[in-house]
Amino acid sequence: MLEQIRSKLDAAFVPKVLEVRDDSEDHRGHAGYREGGNTHFSVKIRAAAFDGQSRVAQQRAIYAQLKQEFADGLHALALDVGGADAP
Amino acid sequence: MSDAQAQIKETVDGNDVVLFMKGTSEMPQCGFSSRVAGVLNYMEVEYQDVNVLADEEIRQGIKDFSDWPTIPQLYVKGEFVGGCDIITEMTLSGELDTLLETNGVAFNKDAADKIRESNA
Repeated sequence: MLEQIRSKLDAAFVPKVLEVRDDSEDHRGHAGYREGGNTHFSVKIRAAAFDGQSRVAQQRAIYAQLKQEFADGLHALALDVGGADAP
Repeated sequence: MSDAQAQIKETVDGNDVVLFMKGTSEMPQCGFSSRVAGVLNYMEVEYQDVNVLADEEIRQGIKDFSDWPTIPQLYVKGEFVGGCDIITEMTLSGELDTLLETNGVAFNKDAADKIRESNA
């Protein structure tokens, strides 16, 4: 799942910065956790594609790329999105 | 429009601030919902909480309504504002204060400042 998320975002946005982390184990025992993990991820991404977009538009663009992953059990995606020059 | 969509629309149009969440404002059942409810509670914002765990049709329906695949979801004056990451960022940047002020929603500004101070 992690590699799948990474490669889809990489192809779609050609990011300057892309960090994908699997946080599933942090959520063990909580709602949404399933045995085997692959449920909770966090993403930090910086790409020119996001320049000038609202936060909602940025996150929607990412969600749109990961429709299949959400259908396959991805439960939560903590997003830190910014334009190419965002800190 | 399905019943669930009509019900969601009625809720977001009929309340100034609505939070679709897992659990209730008093007892959130997910860390992300808890974070947003906690901010609103602390800032003394009056809002309608909708527990999506109590109704499977609303749980799926709200994702279709906003084209947003995750919960929580915050609405102000009928407009979708965002989920947990966006609300957190907007709280810390002061944009949430501006949004509430612009829409005439009362909140405790000192409390909002306190959140920012403790996260500076």
